[in-house]
Amino acid sequence: MSLDVHELRFAYAAQPVLRGVSFRVEPGALSALLGPNGSGKSTLLKHLAGFLPPRQGRVRVLGRDLAGLSLRERARLIGFLPQSHVPVFPFRVAEVVLTGRAAGITFLPGRKDREKAAEALARVGIAHLADRPYSELSGGERQLVLIARVLAQEPRVFLLDEPLAHLDIANQVRVVRLLKELAAAGLTVLIVMHDPNLALLFADGIVVLKEGRVLRFGPHGEMADRRLYEEAYGVALAAVPFGDRFLLVPDAAPPAEPPGLRAFR
Amino acid sequence: MREKTPRARRWLEGLGWGAPLPLMAAALLSGPAEGFGPREVLAWAAAALGAAPAPAAEQAAVIAAVVLDVRLPRILLAFLAGASLTVSGNALQALFRNPLVSPDILGLTAGAAFGAALALTAGVLPLQGSAFAFALAAVGLTYGIARQRGGASTVALILSGVIVSGVFTALLTIVQFLADPFKLQTIVHWTLGNLHNASWAKVGSAALPMGLGWVGLWLMRWRMNVIALGDDETRAVGLNPEKEKLLILVPATLVASASVAVAGIIGMIGLALPHVVRMAAGPDNRRTVPLSLGFGGGFLVLVDTFSRSTAAFELPVGIFTTLLATPVFVYLLKTRFLPGTGRDVA
Repeated sequence: MSLDVHELRFAYAAQPVLRGVSFRVEPGALSALLGPNGSGKSTLLKHLAGFLPPRQGRVRVLGRDLAGLSLRERARLIGFLPQSHVPVFPFRVAEVVLTGRAAGITFLPGRKDREKAAEALARVGIAHLADRPYSELSGGERQLVLIARVLAQEPRVFLLDEPLAHLDIANQVRVVRLLKELAAAGLTVLIVMHDPNLALLFADGIVVLKEGRVLRFGPHGEMADRRLYEEAYGVALAAVPFGDRFLLVPDAAPPAEPPGLRAFR
Repeated sequence: MREKTPRARRWLEGLGWGAPLPLMAAALLSGPAEGFGPREVLAWAAAALGAAPAPAAEQAAVIAAVVLDVRLPRILLAFLAGASLTVSGNALQALFRNPLVSPDILGLTAGAAFGAALALTAGVLPLQGSAFAFALAAVGLTYGIARQRGGASTVALILSGVIVSGVFTALLTIVQFLADPFKLQTIVHWTLGNLHNASWAKVGSAALPMGLGWVGLWLMRWRMNVIALGDDETRAVGLNPEKEKLLILVPATLVASASVAVAGIIGMIGLALPHVVRMAAGPDNRRTVPLSLGFGGGFLVLVDTFSRSTAAFELPVGIFTTLLATPVFVYLLKTRFLPGTGRDVA
């Protein structure tokens, strides 16, 4: 088991956010973490990344209890991609990616670190951006740079908090394909997603969260259930067949044509 | 940052590395001394090295005294102070992820000035220790007031810096008010940013804290890149952001307060020069930290040499640096910070 979360509970002040979350994620798979806004997805991810210590419950990563690991040890196991923001200084892309190596560096990165950073850039397919200022890139390019930074870190588990949020559809597909490849190469990838359709299209496994509890988790085949998402999001949905899978759309009657429009027909 | 042609960048960076030593040599030759000029100093130096016949013994003694005991310590002190203020500004800007902060703006300078004035008046406290302690307290206070949910915005930092600076400036005024007239004059002169009392004793007292701080910042120079990307981004790669910040803040405060303790408030250098350095070398702190030392030190040696050589009377060098650096900063403000959202910066 790559990720094993057991009865995890957490509250901000008196407001419970996680009310006993338990699930497991298989190694070498791309898993999606779904749930409506405020269901605790980001908080859960921060626990998995070790940013918030578990008050109650347990998180095991590759069989090791997260609570017993130092920051540097943890960084070698887990790569975490926070929701992105633009730094103030126009660092070159190569410099940003190099910082991913920090866990193994005392004061200065060495030749091996630079090689790993260059490899990571090539792997993501953005070697040509190495000398560009990071702050001048588009949102999609920046996301790819941050993914390269995590790859340079060489973690075994890769956690991403809404990496697709500000990307156009082409960049969404590009990033998801890249993450699929990484999962196929043995990395465990867990992504917080907004859109259940991207999860239904690409994910090998899905975890659905609602009000701080796991509604259901499992491999894709067990999770392709329209009613599950109706319950999670509290909205009527219709399933539209798409190849051997299906997509979800809001089940609302198409709006009546505004009368004014007829004049243009 | 706007694209600079690589050639202009290389030229600027070469200047930062190559200029300080020749500049300091030239500064040794110049100054308002009666009875001898650069030519006599050169002749004396050649004789001292055994390359020329010795000049008249009487004149040689005067030249030796002026060059070795007046100019040399002053030039060294100017270099130490300029380098320290610039490298401190560079480190603080990386640490707070904010190109608009500096030792002056964060209240560090006012805190150090109060601490140093207290030590000068009371006479029991050690000068360097008192300046450092109050400088650290001032920065801590500024950050503490501005901090919200683990971060501090540009505006909050600058405003709380104004408050903290105001408090320590008021305390400094109280010290001045209570000081006896003789000490008062010393304190006022020193507050204006002054190198004309430079001595080997001052070089000695500043060298140790500055040397320690420089080594600390030199070691942390790459980790400044990591922290400059953000707290979560730092934690994600295995470093504790709070610990990293402290490891940068303490040496940055140490060098700037040491400069204030021996040379008073030399304004604007810590704010403006790191921008010039980044224009030359880009934002990578592996390069800006060492370059800040050369650029900042060389700049203050140059300005101080002018301030003591050109006019018949001597103005405090802090007045010159502020007058010189202000247009640079206004230019940066107008071209880089005000357009757009304020994140497109040098």
